[in-house]
Order: sequence, then C-alpha cells, then structure tokens
Amino acid sequence: MNDMNEKYFHSVVLNEDRCVGCTSCLKVCPTEAIRLKEGKARIIGEKCIDCGECIRICPNHAKSAVTDNIGILKKYKYTIAIPSLVLYGQFRSNVGINEMLTAVKKVGFDEVYEASIGTEIITNVVKNHMLKDNKIKRPIINSTCPATLRLIQIRFPELLPNIADIETPIEIAARLAKVETAKKTGFSMDEIGVVFISPCTARMTSSRNPLGIEKSYIDGVLSMKDVYGMMLRNLNNDKVDVMTRSTKESLLWPITGGQGEPLGIENYLAVDGINEVIKVLEEIEMDKLDGLEFFEGMACVGGCVGGPLTIENPFIARSRMKALSKGLPNSAAGEEEIKAQIEMYKEGFIRLTEPIEPRAVMRLDDDISKSIKKMEMIKEMLKDLPGIDCGVCGAPTCKAFAEDIVKGNNRDEVCMVKSMKSFNNGKA
Amino acid sequence: MEDIKYVFEVEKDDFVRAGETSSKIKKTLRELGIDSSIIRKISIATYEAEMNIVIHSLGGQIVLEITPGTIKITASDRGPGIADVELAMKEGYSTASDRVREMGFGAGMGLPNMKKCSDRFCVTSSEGKGTYIVIEVDLKAGE
Repeated sequence: MNDMNEKYFHSVVLNEDRCVGCTSCLKVCPTEAIRLKEGKARIIGEKCIDCGECIRICPNHAKSAVTDNIGILKKYKYTIAIPSLVLYGQFRSNVGINEMLTAVKKVGFDEVYEASIGTEIITNVVKNHMLKDNKIKRPIINSTCPATLRLIQIRFPELLPNIADIETPIEIAARLAKVETAKKTGFSMDEIGVVFISPCTARMTSSRNPLGIEKSYIDGVLSMKDVYGMMLRNLNNDKVDVMTRSTKESLLWPITGGQGEPLGIENYLAVDGINEVIKVLEEIEMDKLDGLEFFEGMACVGGCVGGPLTIENPFIARSRMKALSKGLPNSAAGEEEIKAQIEMYKEGFIRLTEPIEPRAVMRLDDDISKSIKKMEMIKEMLKDLPGIDCGVCGAPTCKAFAEDIVKGNNRDEVCMVKSMKSFNNGKA
Repeated sequence: MEDIKYVFEVEKDDFVRAGETSSKIKKTLRELGIDSSIIRKISIATYEAEMNIVIHSLGGQIVLEITPGTIKITASDRGPGIADVELAMKEGYSTASDRVREMGFGAGMGLPNMKKCSDRFCVTSSEGKGTYIVIEVDLKAGE
C-alpha cells in the first residue's frame, strides 16, 4: 500500500491485488508520478497532484482514493453533511434537490448544509472586490480546483501570486455551518463534525493537508461513490424537507465556465481537463494571453461534474444540473450583503492567509552544477534508448527511465526493447 | 565539462510546432532547478526568437547553452536578414504581413522584448545572409 509516512500526503492509492501492471496509468499521469515496480503501478507521493487521471483510466479499478468511512460520524455529537453540488447531477431527472438532500440527511447526519452559499460569496468577492482592484495580479486564477493548485506549485510557480486568495465553496460553507451550528446548538467546535461528500480526490488531500490555510474546518471526507448507494436506499419523495437555498448560478458553478460566467466580464477563460489546463497555463506564464482577467482551470473534464469519485458521466450530470438550475431563483445578494461578504474576506475568515509555496519536485538536484552533470548523463543515455516510450521498463518515457537511473531511483530495471532484434533493425 | 548544450531546429512557417522549442527549453531549465523568474525571462525571450524565425526567416536553429553561471540562447537563421537593425529594435516596428498580424503575431515587440528579458543581448544581421541573436541571462548567486 501507499507509504503513509511520506511528508507530502496524497489521497490516490493503489490496490496491489487488482493491478496487473498494464502501464495505462503511467501514460496518463500528467506529472509522471507513476512507476511500475515489481509489476505494480506505484505512485511517487511527492509528484502526485491527486488529479485522478489514473483512477479514471485503470481498466481494473486498481487505483482509488483514501477517504473516510461513515463511521466517522460517531466521533461527533452533532454532524453536518456538505454535499458537493455535483451530487445534484447524479440522480435521474425525476429526483428533486430537496429529495436528495433529505436522503443525505437520512444517511445519519443531524443537518445538511449546501455549498451554494460558498459559490455565491466567491462570485461576489471576486466580482466586486478583486476585479475592481488593479493591484491584484492578472489573470486572477481560481483557487477552487485543488489539483490545479498543486499543478501550479509544481510546474508554474511563477503563477502562484495570481491565485485568488479566497477559500473554496466547500471550505467557506464548512466555516459558516460550524459557526452557525455552534451558536444554535451550544456544542463546541470540536463536538461538531463537518463532513464533505466529495466528487474529488484532491479535495480529500486538501482537507488533511490544506493549501493556503492553517487548518480546514472539514473534519471528514466521504467519497460520493460511497454515499450514493446509501442515498439511493433513502430516496423517498413522500417526506421531503424543504432545505435547498441554491440558486441558478450555484448549480452551474461546478460546470466549466460556471465560475467565470457570473463575473459579468468578457475576458475570462474557462478550461477543463488537466492536459488542456497545462497548455493554457503555459501560455499565461509566457504572457501570451493579453488582457485576460480571470482564468478558471478545472482538472477534470466538464469541471467538478467530471470528478473521479462521481457516479454519473460528466456530460449527463451536466445536462441534469442545467435542467435543475432552470427551476431555481437567480442569485440576488443585496449591496449590504455583498459588503459584509467582502468584509468577511478581508478579515481573513474565508481568505487564504498562508502562502502557497512552490514545490520543485521536477528538479534533478538541489545543486545546479550537479543538475547540469545529471542532465548531461541523461542526454548521453537517451542516445542509446529506443525513444518509443513503451513503458515496459516501468517508467512512462525513455527520458523518465534515464532520469530515474541518474537520480539513483532505479537500480534494477533495464531496457528490454533495446536488445530486441526488430528494434535494432528499425534503427538501422 | 560542466556545460550543457542543446540544439533545436526551427522551421519557417510552421505555426503548429511554433513554441515547441521554447517549451522544451523551459522544461529543461525547470528540471535543472533554475529559479522560476529566470525561467520565465528565458522562455519569453526564446519564444520571441522562435517566432521570429518562424515568421520572418527561411528557417534556422536555437541553441541553449547552460553553465553554472549563465544561460545562453543563440538564435540564428538562414536569412533574409534585417535591413535596419536599429529600426527593428524600436517598439512597434514590424515588417510582418497583415496575415501574420491577424493571427496575433508581428506586433513589433519581438526584439525589444528579447532585450528586456536578458542581461546581455546582441543582434547582428546581414541582408541576404541571416540574423544572429544572442541572449544571456545570469544566474543569481546562490542559485
């Protein structure tokens, strides 16, 4: 299993019994964080950004995410569920939002709190405060997608100052829910458990090992896949509590473009899929996108609806959420309310107050002259390797194979292809 | 030898591959552990040089050389050369065709941008023969 002693926590793990060593995940990993060792696709913890690409591609379902289990509810005197808004796209169109929320509550929570409030606040703060302040670096990059943030730490450290220093909808909802509940019930903060029902592997990591804040108010994370079954059994449209306060905009939020669109500006850019996000961040880093005000980068195709822990196909979920949104009111925060939200941000309650540091995991060595030597060695080795990136040696590319050897991380593997007759013929 | 040298060929008019060389150079510098603000300068300058070769020249190459103290980019092409280098150094001066400008290139900022991004910059050109550009960025002490 995954080494839990690693300094950097990531939530994607390998189920060794199911892994047949097929190399599918090696190829899709955007940070080259997977190596086959003894026939099993092991994860290099410090390189994993929890994007979930390997979970999606694995034909044997050998990759999954560590999440909490429902037993976590017993640890608290009062429990609050915050389901990701993506949940609303997971059921057939005859199931209403209130029915879903009632079913979530019946799983064993004292209360269900919607994440919509968080999306409303972020839109209001970005639109009415950040976009009006020219001192804030452009483009402002959304802080919502934890996999994108971790990608920026590793590959685009120059863009770290562009990240909107505001918490995610879930974290904001968790904070508000906990404070409100403490007031209402008299329980202490420690006695109240806020549990997020997540479509996202990276969110699991960021609740344990948060970026930009000292401590998350989320006490537990349940996989949407795990909760789905329990909810299905609880669905019953006879006794439905009217709970939802969601707006049209909040339902569209987890769909690509749902963050940029309500800002009311023309020059925003919304991109989904980790590889496309990488390409566009390259352009932003090179100052190629003149006049871009806001960048919404979502690691999953479709946005959060494409999260690796969802049940429904992202396009189907998206269409359902759009349909559901039509029956909801528009968001209509008044001037005073928006002012109060901006104040709450300025005071730091919903703000990213800790710096997000670059993580130079791609470098060959801390010492630059040693790095140069190693790179020279890699260059020499590459001349002798087939360059077909087959993955048979356990590394995703020939270059990664050479890097591993030079870094001393690979003492056993050899290139089989090099010695194959057919390859030699091809080269000659 | 502690130096490292990479040579990249750049084709004229190949807008699909344009930018690949500067991307590769950026990735290399990242792996070496170069400070990210320096990487940014080098990649912007290299991108401009690369685009110049694609748009204006008959093709050429970009060479990356790294020593523990300096990063050096040399961009050379096979012509047609710049008639008036001084004029070309002026911001906004461009000989790019309308077609190229429509595509968002040729704003006349190429050479000035390269200069801005470098610690030492040198451009020489002879008409009919080609242009030769050297961009150098020093690595900060302690890098």
